[in-house]
Amino acid sequence: MAGLNDDAQWIILMGFVISFSFFFLAMILNQSVVVGQTTAESVLDFPKNDIRDVRSVIIESAAIGDPSSVHNDIITISMSRKNAVVNYACVPAGCPNPYTINIHYNNGVTAYNETWLSP
Amino acid sequence: MEGLHSSARGENGFFPENPLSPGSRYRGGNDMVNSDGQLYTIEGFAAAMIMLFTVYLVLGATSVYTPGDTHISDMQLEQLGTDALRMMNTPVNSTPGLNSTLQDVIYNKGAPGFTCGSGFNCNEFNTTFLNYVNNMTGSGTDNLHYTASVTYYDINNKTTGSLPLYSNRNLTGGEHPVRVTEWVIVNKQFPGTNVIQNRAVLVEVLLWRD
Repeated sequence: MAGLNDDAQWIILMGFVISFSFFFLAMILNQSVVVGQTTAESVLDFPKNDIRDVRSVIIESAAIGDPSSVHNDIITISMSRKNAVVNYACVPAGCPNPYTINIHYNNGVTAYNETWLSP
Repeated sequence: MEGLHSSARGENGFFPENPLSPGSRYRGGNDMVNSDGQLYTIEGFAAAMIMLFTVYLVLGATSVYTPGDTHISDMQLEQLGTDALRMMNTPVNSTPGLNSTLQDVIYNKGAPGFTCGSGFNCNEFNTTFLNYVNNMTGSGTDNLHYTASVTYYDINNKTTGSLPLYSNRNLTGGEHPVRVTEWVIVNKQFPGTNVIQNRAVLVEVLLWRD
């Protein structure tokens, strides 16, 4: 631009630099919110307490010989109240010491399988 | 004109005349119209656009902040309630035949108190559970409330049924409760069968803070 004073180009350049730094800050802020939300959702989706709970009651049930009434209760109530398919079996049947329990849990998102050895 | 300035650039940095239009008497443009301000105007527009767009992005980024926040407090509340129920379902020691507090509640044993219609020791459940969840470091107490029920499998009708355990406050619909559960094995007769046998029931608690 002939005939124009170009001293102000530095001001414009600094303006651009500051604007771009604002852009990057806004993007980082935006991404951090998304990351926090997806983390919270995935943690909530994971049925940690359900698995620990049902695993604990299955082991407790095996300790009293795995009566069929308790077995049916666990499977049915897990299905109706927890929306989870649960099954387990003592090997050998009736849980005489020592025994193993094969525990299966699946709620459609998370599957958990465990072979538990009696102490 | 030629004799006034010996160099191409004058003392203020301006070209003495526009070489693109040699006949011009004004610097920066043709005769009659001076276009010096055009560049400043364009730059001004560009700067304004950038600032507006930045403000829009910054405000838009901060307004999506809330949903992630509530999930975290829900998670903490759920963990607190689960831990309280787990503590209540643990006997004080490993003596065979010793029941946990939660089993005593369902057997309607333990410290005498008022009983509710379902045949559980509601008083002991209420006292113990609120004691566990509301205790805080220091002298104050937390403000957690709950509604608890016991879910069993109705063998004859092949459905699941629920018996109310106790609630220290009614749900009005405005609360934001989380659900915590605990399995309990008891030797008791439940609706749907006439025999006393080992049964697994699910203690479900809706827990909220206000």
